[in-house]
Amino acid sequence: MWQRQLAVLIFTTMATAGLAHADALADIKARGTLVCGTQNASEPYAFPDTATRQIVGFDVDVCHALAQGLGVKLEQRGLSTDARIAELKTHRVDLLAAAVAWMPARATQVDFSDQYFVAPIRVLVRADSPIQTLGQLAGKKIAASEGSSSAAVAVTRLPDSNLLTFHDISSAYLALQQHKVDGLVAGQLILARFANEAAQNHGQQYRLLAGPVFEERWGVVINKNEPALMAAVNKILLDYEKTNGLQTSFDKWLGANSVYKFTRNYKVEPIKAQ
Amino acid sequence: MFDLSFLLEDGHLTLLRNGVLTTVRLFVVSGLMASAIGIVLATLRALPVRVCKALVVVIVEYHRNVPMLVQILVWYFGVPQILPESLKLWINASNTEFFLAAVALSLNSGAFVSEDIRSGLRAIPHTQQEAAWSIGLTYLQSLRYVILPQGIRAALPALVNQALLLFKNSSLAMAIGVHELLYRTKQIDNLTFRTFDIFLVATILYLIGTLALMALSEHFVKHRRVPLGV
Repeated sequence: MWQRQLAVLIFTTMATAGLAHADALADIKARGTLVCGTQNASEPYAFPDTATRQIVGFDVDVCHALAQGLGVKLEQRGLSTDARIAELKTHRVDLLAAAVAWMPARATQVDFSDQYFVAPIRVLVRADSPIQTLGQLAGKKIAASEGSSSAAVAVTRLPDSNLLTFHDISSAYLALQQHKVDGLVAGQLILARFANEAAQNHGQQYRLLAGPVFEERWGVVINKNEPALMAAVNKILLDYEKTNGLQTSFDKWLGANSVYKFTRNYKVEPIKAQ
Repeated sequence: MFDLSFLLEDGHLTLLRNGVLTTVRLFVVSGLMASAIGIVLATLRALPVRVCKALVVVIVEYHRNVPMLVQILVWYFGVPQILPESLKLWINASNTEFFLAAVALSLNSGAFVSEDIRSGLRAIPHTQQEAAWSIGLTYLQSLRYVILPQGIRAALPALVNQALLLFKNSSLAMAIGVHELLYRTKQIDNLTFRTFDIFLVATILYLIGTLALMALSEHFVKHRRVPLGV
């Protein structure tokens, strides 16, 4: 008798598990919460606010906009860069707004929404370094943060350099400071911050090499074969831009109201292959 | 369910193969150094000199009680900073990731090996020591010809355990940019987002390594031969 009950139990579990992933959008609406994954220590995109202990930032604002657009509550999760894709594929999060840059091989595994952020990946060197161009990095050691888009891009765009990745961007920067590497590959924003901070303290100075290694385009990332969710996300992102939500968030974290003073020179639109 | 054809694209297979080779190199180099360090430490501790004993205890307890990752980071980021300027610059500019990782792994593993050998030595009855003295061997000679060969044999199962740990712990070297197997695995994951497939491959490769080690040691234990040249 118990065997039959077990069989029924297993069958129903499998059936509901199958159903649960049939349509992620319907699931989210039925559940009433959107589980949105971001990075957990990447200022100013998703990082802990020292006052409130909440994870805040540019990516977190995207999560808020998505939850609001879907008319559900937000459950935001801070994830390590390494773990973000595994968390999505195992359905522990519904989607990611976690600094995931579009790349061809990646796009075969997960689906990218329209871009909501575009930024150059560049290389920081010590100010007294003889290296002037990206080409001169051939045969040199360069550092990047493990699991980051910059690390992935460096493999293909700077194949003649010897890439060392470290657990986080601060260890990679430490390697540059200690002359263990000759360049640091990362988003322009964080590199500009490192250079500015160094300029305020006397000591080793840094400069950015001219020209980007790559223009990274971030999309909201969801699992494959979820057309309903993808359509909803893209519509919300467009509205987010139209109602100035994106601009306000950009100004707050990256633009005029931040230390970075960047201007937004991209639109929310489908990501074009580069 | 698992599709491994992506390994054949974009040189991923070469990345993986180089990772395996680096892991094996790191394991062999650190394993040999750890054995030597372990034997020296165990011998020093067995000597009837109080200073030696105290020194060994300090070394062993540091390496047993501080997380291995911290030790690796200390060797890579910390130790070169306290060296003289010219030496520091030279170390930082050369490809010292592999070397410093090997140093950290050897010292850590060597501390554990010395403890294993010590427990092996204690399995040898004191009467053997006395017998060795009675035929005119010095203290060091008695260690070298009588006690250590038997002690290491007694410690062999524990040493095999240690070798397996070292093989797997070599993956921590990725934290300082050593391009070993797990580093390459994560790199390929980051490039392709095929998380489960590539980690399955890495798991199988690590298993092949550890199972081979176990088979090899089984062989030695069975034939009661100790390949340590003591």
